[in-house]
Amino acid sequence: MRVNFKIWRQESHQEEGSFKDYSVDNITSDMSLLEALDYLNETLVLKDEKVVAFDYDCREGICGQCGIFVNGRAHGPHDNTTTCQVHMRSFEDGQTIVLEPWRARAFPIVKDLIVDRSALDRIIQKNGYITVKTGGAGEANSILVAKKDADKAMDAAACIGCGACIATCKNSSASLFTAAKINHLDHLPQGKLETNERVMAMVSQMELENFGSCSFTGACEIECPQSISITEIARMNNLFLKAKLTKE
Amino acid sequence: MLINRKYIMAITGLFLCIFLIVHLSANFLLLLPNNLAKEAYNTYSHLLRNNPLISAVSILLYLAIIFHSVMALIITLDNKKAKPQKYFMNYAQQNSSWNSRNMGLLGLMILIFIIVHMANFWAKVKLGYGPELPIDSKGQIDIYSVVVTTLKNPFITLFYTILSIPLAMHLHHGVQSAAKTLGLYHKRYLKYVALIATFYSCVMGLGFGLIPLYIYFFSQG
Repeated sequence: MRVNFKIWRQESHQEEGSFKDYSVDNITSDMSLLEALDYLNETLVLKDEKVVAFDYDCREGICGQCGIFVNGRAHGPHDNTTTCQVHMRSFEDGQTIVLEPWRARAFPIVKDLIVDRSALDRIIQKNGYITVKTGGAGEANSILVAKKDADKAMDAAACIGCGACIATCKNSSASLFTAAKINHLDHLPQGKLETNERVMAMVSQMELENFGSCSFTGACEIECPQSISITEIARMNNLFLKAKLTKE
Repeated sequence: MLINRKYIMAITGLFLCIFLIVHLSANFLLLLPNNLAKEAYNTYSHLLRNNPLISAVSILLYLAIIFHSVMALIITLDNKKAKPQKYFMNYAQQNSSWNSRNMGLLGLMILIFIIVHMANFWAKVKLGYGPELPIDSKGQIDIYSVVVTTLKNPFITLFYTILSIPLAMHLHHGVQSAAKTLGLYHKRYLKYVALIATFYSCVMGLGFGLIPLYIYFFSQG
């Protein structure tokens, strides 16, 4: 099949970017979108042109490294997938595919389709962990965790930090990401002890990083590759309110 | 703080939701037969005007409207700053509802409505603007006649009826969003909240939208 890519090209954060059109032949429907981009890049190399920069790592939908706004949707036309799991069979022969980087003030563009998501790392660095000294692996049964709590913790911990929630949110809010990180630890006895400090610190950092507010449009949970529920945000708001009211 | 602002939006919003229930309940008096409606409505508003508790609550009401609007403006401006560049192509309708994405626009329409509405009635009764108000047989201000005369103007009635649509849309998302903002996260209860929000927004939209039409066609001052 033949597709027309319309791709955002930008040398660096400081420089202006613009769309560039590329027609690519010999695309097969079982190629992944990223493989089609690899193929495009090969042709660009042969023509001595600059390749399109895009992020990826595992290409198995589990690492959270890839992320492109494909034809008006974060991670492409399907709900709850990563960009690497989008295949060319999702598009039609001759279709134009628009590729844009995640757009958010907190995600400066590094190059082309690659954005700097280190704001998310800095949120985790603010108490997004437990402060006990771990040492060697402890006896697994010394702290009992109910199955339902372990499941809830896992549901939140599934967040791979891809940034699709922020990309799709009209306010570029990082609420779903931050809530997932807070709740995942709060469901476990080791994490619960420090929930108050954690929720205050992580929410403050989220604000410092210039993310917007949550309007509960629900777009984030539709685009999240891990199907993290928007109720996680409501739970973060609950914990934040409790932390504020019981602050000493 | 991002979340603090949303708490203020949620609390003032829910307070205004309660006010709307009281307001619509009173408006149902207008649906009584003409003479009964006149007496009931005038007596009701006379009682409200002379009750110090109501005066205190009305100040809270004005403050709630102001805080809700100003805070909305601040939040919207900051949210716009957080996404300085829009997408060239964005199929937002595939992942979220139109009203959830346009609460600011819907809110602005409601604010315009409130200003017109207050100019129509509040300014005349409370501030004494316009011609002298009629007095009924009991010596009370004949608000009923003011309401009917105002709504006999087809443009005003149409304005009131049409603006009940953005009101219903704003309430439908607002009630659910406020519950989540204030920390209600249990999925079962959120389902109940969604049902309540749908019922509530329909009743408010239909009530505030149809009563002016009823008055336009059937009432006599």
